[in-house]
Amino acid sequence: MTLQECYAALEGDYESVMGRLRTERLVQKFVLKFLDDGSYALLVDSMGSGNYDEAFRAAHTIKGVGQNLSFNKLFESSHLLTEALREKNIEAAAPLYEQVKADYAQTVDAIRAYQASL
Amino acid sequence: MAENRKQKILIADDSEMNRSILADMLGDDYDIIEVENGREAVVVLQKQAAQIDLVLLDIVMPEMDGFGVLKAMNDFRWIETTPVIMISAESAPARVRQAYELGITDFISRPFDAVVVHHRVVNTLFMYAKQKKLANMVTDQVLEKEKQSAMMIDILSHIVEFRNEESGWHVQHIRVITELILKQINRMTDKYKFSKSDIAVISTAAAIHDVGKIAIPGEILNKPGRLTDEEFAIMKTHAQVGASMLKALPVYQNEPLVRRAYEICRWHHERYDGRGYPDGLKGDEIPIAAQVVALADVYDALTSDRVYKKAFSHEKAVRMILNGECGQFNPLLMDCLREASDSIRIAAVSNEIRDWNDPNVLRNLTEELMQREEMSASDRTLQLLEHERMKYQFFADMSQEIQFEYTVSPPSVMISEWGARHLGLDEIIRDPHHDEKVLAIMGAEGMQKLAGLLRCSTPKKPIVNFDCVIRLGGVERWMKIIARATWSKDEPPVYTGAIGKATDIHETRVKMAELEELAAHDTMTGLYNHRFAKLRIQDMMARKPESHFALGIFDVDYFKQANDTYGHMFGDQVLIHVAKTLKRNMREGTVSARVGGDEFLLFFEYREHVDLAINRIFNSLIGNYESFPISVSMGVAKTQMLGMDYDTLFHAADQALYAAKRGGRRQFRFYDGDSSNTLSLITPIESDAAKPEGAAAGDPEEQPADK
Repeated sequence: MTLQECYAALEGDYESVMGRLRTERLVQKFVLKFLDDGSYALLVDSMGSGNYDEAFRAAHTIKGVGQNLSFNKLFESSHLLTEALREKNIEAAAPLYEQVKADYAQTVDAIRAYQASL
Repeated sequence: MAENRKQKILIADDSEMNRSILADMLGDDYDIIEVENGREAVVVLQKQAAQIDLVLLDIVMPEMDGFGVLKAMNDFRWIETTPVIMISAESAPARVRQAYELGITDFISRPFDAVVVHHRVVNTLFMYAKQKKLANMVTDQVLEKEKQSAMMIDILSHIVEFRNEESGWHVQHIRVITELILKQINRMTDKYKFSKSDIAVISTAAAIHDVGKIAIPGEILNKPGRLTDEEFAIMKTHAQVGASMLKALPVYQNEPLVRRAYEICRWHHERYDGRGYPDGLKGDEIPIAAQVVALADVYDALTSDRVYKKAFSHEKAVRMILNGECGQFNPLLMDCLREASDSIRIAAVSNEIRDWNDPNVLRNLTEELMQREEMSASDRTLQLLEHERMKYQFFADMSQEIQFEYTVSPPSVMISEWGARHLGLDEIIRDPHHDEKVLAIMGAEGMQKLAGLLRCSTPKKPIVNFDCVIRLGGVERWMKIIARATWSKDEPPVYTGAIGKATDIHETRVKMAELEELAAHDTMTGLYNHRFAKLRIQDMMARKPESHFALGIFDVDYFKQANDTYGHMFGDQVLIHVAKTLKRNMREGTVSARVGGDEFLLFFEYREHVDLAINRIFNSLIGNYESFPISVSMGVAKTQMLGMDYDTLFHAADQALYAAKRGGRRQFRFYDGDSSNTLSLITPIESDAAKPEGAAAGDPEEQPADK
């Protein structure tokens, strides 16, 4: 599996990230690093315990990282969740949270598959 | 400073991913410090703001967000020297605007583009480096310029003096006295509000007030006798001549220095009532600068030797001026002269000249320069500050003292690293008076007391000592706080904060209390010792001079027997038993003590029926310790009869005790004033059967001489 195919599987924008980070080495480094990022675990914890301020920050971080790595699908859903949580609109946040969970799973699955093929 | 080391960039972002992307983009050209929240960023800046060349700042962070960091950077004025680039996906225009208003230099939005980030960072660093360099150059040049122009004025005025054959200090005195009077005017009225720079300009210009004398012929200028009318008319032209010389300068006509110098040269011989020269101006038609210099000139002329007169004393000179003997001056200036008389007297005798190699002069100048808003601190100053900070931190850590610095506005406390760790507080606390953690440790009352003491200090006596109890981890500890209030150099001075240290004196304090306790007690019986009992008793009598007190002394009958028959250990047990019995039976407020050997003392306040009280205690002491029968002999003295002197009472009680023993023991007697016939009120005469074996007549204990 190539890095480009990985981006296709997680529905990201390979061209864009390469344009900004310049080298495949750097993109690969950060894509693999994404697996260790704690923000998602923090999001799940704080959504579970109803700490929405913390959940907002976690979603915001996922959004920022997704944006930097051009994980467009995850970026979109985490962006919407961030905005819902910023306004403390818990009702709206619930389905968006489900979407982020699904997109995160899709992203992580793609990266793991890519990692396995290295 | 930038040439020899890598530039330092502080990245504050809660996402490790984002931090490392940025760090990677910047590459190895920079020293990178990463922090994950705003509070940490402030701590890093606090320690080394002078070394941080750039801050990359995220907005949304836990603990303290990016705006919080910007606010702190403004409060502590780091923003003036350290550029900030904000990085965030936040792009709401209001937020961006707010960030720019708080002083950020640039804004990078996500997603990061390596080239863009790199360029912006490089540009910002370059711009600031250039600005710092320029600021340094300007500082150096201004310094050089001020130094040279002041030197030129000094030289110029000395030429005038030289021709004038006046004392070399005349110009210096005029300068200093002018300055003192101007400051005094500021203190007494809001009418003029001279700024620091106004005062500097006027007192410098004052130095050339007599520059016109250069055109006066030497034989008139230095004529030892009285001038003829004609000569005096020529002499008087020096005011107009000096003014014309300045007016004729081809350049600098709009410089404040030249404008003030013109006023001073031309009108420093005018008088408030219009009887001066050359223009006969009246009252406030005379510019205030010229009025002040006129006064300074007259004062200095009076207090100096001149070709035609000897110097008068300061007091005489002031009196002559106030009496109007040297022409009439503005009443306000007369008040100023009166008020500032002492400082003028001191200034006039001190022949100190401004020495440009004197580090103090340079420091003052540098301070002034730093206060000019457009000027940022020069690199050298920052390095010096950094060195001082390092020294301070090292000593603070070594000393195990909590050192702190408090500023009134904005209210904040900075605590030394060790101190903050020890107290479990942040190194910077904003608004400490309302900080829950601080209040939990020190208590609102303690805080207010300390703040009150500092506020009541004065610039001359700024040091405050304050012992207080703090609560740390649920435990109370005694601390000694020594602090020095800082006062501004304004007139009047303003309280701006304090520096200080807190030392843990708990152990010392507890040890002292223990030692005091130890020193107060007899180790065997736990009663007070004689020395301490005496102090307590004197204290009680002093507190209640209207009350009645009784002092009793007793010893254990046939105690020697107990020692001799059963050994000293047993004897000690008997004494302990007696002490316990006494303690159990005496009323609250009674002072009891072991005077020495088997002799005890008690002292108490009574209203009436002192005999009953004594009888009760006396009877309670009668009993047995194991097989040894215990009774006592007691002598009692009353303040009612003898007054409040301890030694008198003790001596009387001792005599009564002696009488009790002589009367056959197992009894008490009150001192009745006649030592040979001390009265026994109630005397339960002991039976022979009660005597321990061997206590026969002729026993040394029986002998009065033994007592």
